[in-house]
Amino acid sequence: MPGPHLQSKPKSWLWGTLTSIRLTVFLLLILAALAVIGTVLPQNQPPGMYAARFGPVWGELLWRAGFTNVYFSPWFLAPICLLALNILACVVHGLPQAARRATTRLTPEAALGLPERGRITWGPRDDPHPRITAALGRELGRFQQESHRDKEIYFGERGRFRPLGPYLIHLALLLILAGGLIGKFWGVDGQLPLDQGATADAFRVDSQTVPLNFQVRLDKFQVTYYDQGSTPKEFRSDMTFLKDGREVSRAVCRVNEPVSFGGYTFYQASYGAQATGPIRLQVTLGDLKQTLEVPFRQLVDLPGGHGRIIAMQVNGNFQGFGPAVLLAFARGGHPQAFWALQDHPALGEQPGPYRFTVEAIPLGYYSVFQVKHDPGVGWVYAGFLLFLPGFYLAFFRPAERWALVLEKTSQGKWQGRLLGAVPATARNSPPARNGSWRP
Amino acid sequence: MISQLFGAVMLIYLCVAIFFLMAELWSSDRLRAAARFLLWLGLGVQTAALLGRWWQSYHLALGHNPAAAFSEKLRLIILQAPVSNFYDSLIFFAWCLPILGLIAFRRYFKGYLGALLAVLSTLLLAYASLGGVDSRIKPLMPALKSNWLLIHVVTCFLGYSAFALAFGVAILYLLQDRRPRPSLPAPPILDGLIYRATILGFLLLTLGIFTGAVWAETAWGRYWSWDPKETWSLITWLIYAALLHARLLKGWHGRRIAWLAVLGFMAVLFTYFGVSFLLSGLHSYLT
Repeated sequence: MPGPHLQSKPKSWLWGTLTSIRLTVFLLLILAALAVIGTVLPQNQPPGMYAARFGPVWGELLWRAGFTNVYFSPWFLAPICLLALNILACVVHGLPQAARRATTRLTPEAALGLPERGRITWGPRDDPHPRITAALGRELGRFQQESHRDKEIYFGERGRFRPLGPYLIHLALLLILAGGLIGKFWGVDGQLPLDQGATADAFRVDSQTVPLNFQVRLDKFQVTYYDQGSTPKEFRSDMTFLKDGREVSRAVCRVNEPVSFGGYTFYQASYGAQATGPIRLQVTLGDLKQTLEVPFRQLVDLPGGHGRIIAMQVNGNFQGFGPAVLLAFARGGHPQAFWALQDHPALGEQPGPYRFTVEAIPLGYYSVFQVKHDPGVGWVYAGFLLFLPGFYLAFFRPAERWALVLEKTSQGKWQGRLLGAVPATARNSPPARNGSWRP
Repeated sequence: MISQLFGAVMLIYLCVAIFFLMAELWSSDRLRAAARFLLWLGLGVQTAALLGRWWQSYHLALGHNPAAAFSEKLRLIILQAPVSNFYDSLIFFAWCLPILGLIAFRRYFKGYLGALLAVLSTLLLAYASLGGVDSRIKPLMPALKSNWLLIHVVTCFLGYSAFALAFGVAILYLLQDRRPRPSLPAPPILDGLIYRATILGFLLLTLGIFTGAVWAETAWGRYWSWDPKETWSLITWLIYAALLHARLLKGWHGRRIAWLAVLGFMAVLFTYFGVSFLLSGLHSYLT
């Protein structure tokens, strides 16, 4: 056997596999099945959790095999890459022909070659021209007319660009996948916690610090509630951007209203409160009544010596009841934690023998921003936009070619022959109006 | 008051289902006409009740955010569309089903298919009214305050409804395939209807995923975060994509496509209910 033949065979096998629809359907279903795993098995938990839940052997196996982070494991990425290749191969394979078909207008010669669909005759004295013009105008919109020796040909087509539709859809999907890849490799996604009044010139990505070429200051963070309830109405961060210490711009960042500056986008991601000074408590034990200053997260001995207390956490609006502090009371044994509310001293159980009333909590809010730079988003959105015309062309624009050939018969009558081609599927099953997209 | 109206609509849809069924069994045109009339009546009452809920929710929000300018009011109206919690979504789904059925398959919305769709709507409303679902109108959380909320929910639920239609027709197809009844549409017609409904649903689901992605990008800075709801919508999308490819390029027809449509709808149901209750995430209705 000659050499070139041997060489071309494996290539065509590979090409044939890559462009096969069987591969596509197989990959789609495989990806669906793998995606299910990721929703059933908790993702990105510490390995100990899997060991506790599935036993040491299975837990370790799941963790090592990547199923605990399945969407970023080879199990998922390999079929996705293969699907992208499959789509790309199909586009390369079929797009030239589809483009040729979309750019080839219906010519009278081609129209004459369409299969015949019916015949109409008119009497010799009738003039069929106005009727034909009206009917074709109604059914087709635009059509052309040409005389060919003894014949007159009316012809028109609809949905010439339909063959491009599926390719636009698949190019759109490739754009979306490319956007995801670009974001993965050239994007940055990190966190920036900022105290009220503080300025930062860097943010964190995982455990690394990424410098910003400007500074950002949190002037104020506010959380407002509906009717003093516990449903938050708005999280609002007033920010100032500075360059070399000079104020450049101010902005308000809310959920659903991110702020962009210097190539990064800041999203209101989270918030919290911490004490900015000691918390003032009134401690009651029998007749003893004393005001105590409790520094945040430091153990303090209680008057009377019956135990110690620590302020662990503060909250600006605890379950809709206003400012509160989480105290832990220890008296030798296991510490007991409880919330003490500033505006509702009677609410909440306290372990005793002491009774604690909150006099003042010096609260300072901090805001957590997600800081992001993703050059892939534009690609993804371009994919979204390209998908729509593609879908319209592919499914809502059936390709039709029609021609009406008008001749005089030997008896002097007018005879019209209707020629036309409609997509295959439309003929097989009446309600569907679309054809297969491969030529 | 308005939630009682939804209860009444549930009873009307139940009657629609019974009438369609009886009309089919006794081939009575009068019963069919009665079922049609009841269907329109139920739809009218449900539309009115939905608008009423919208009005209530708008006025509640107006109390929280006094708006003077027309543009502010308009934004508030868009934001306060009754599509923001589980109860809302159930009644909206139950409304989309007959609407889409009447628009897309007007001629076939009768008999077993009509009964099946009416039963689905009845079940959704029954769950909303009797299933202990919280029907109170609550002020919007900051994350939901977005112009994308309405368009995202509308496209998703219209998509679910289109898939429900495909499912209904697929069930009918499988019945017809086993024991044909001349009074029902012939299998090739049903096959075409499954395909049509699937295309519509696929387009709407795709739009729902796209609008959700754009929204997530502005709210959380991530257009895709592998949240269970997102993932399950992708699974559903993949199944229907497989169906369309199998049909258009491998020439699959009939029973295999019908079974795929049934499988796809199971995925839709899991995306809607399963994710909300069995898996936790950004879309969980329990938190």
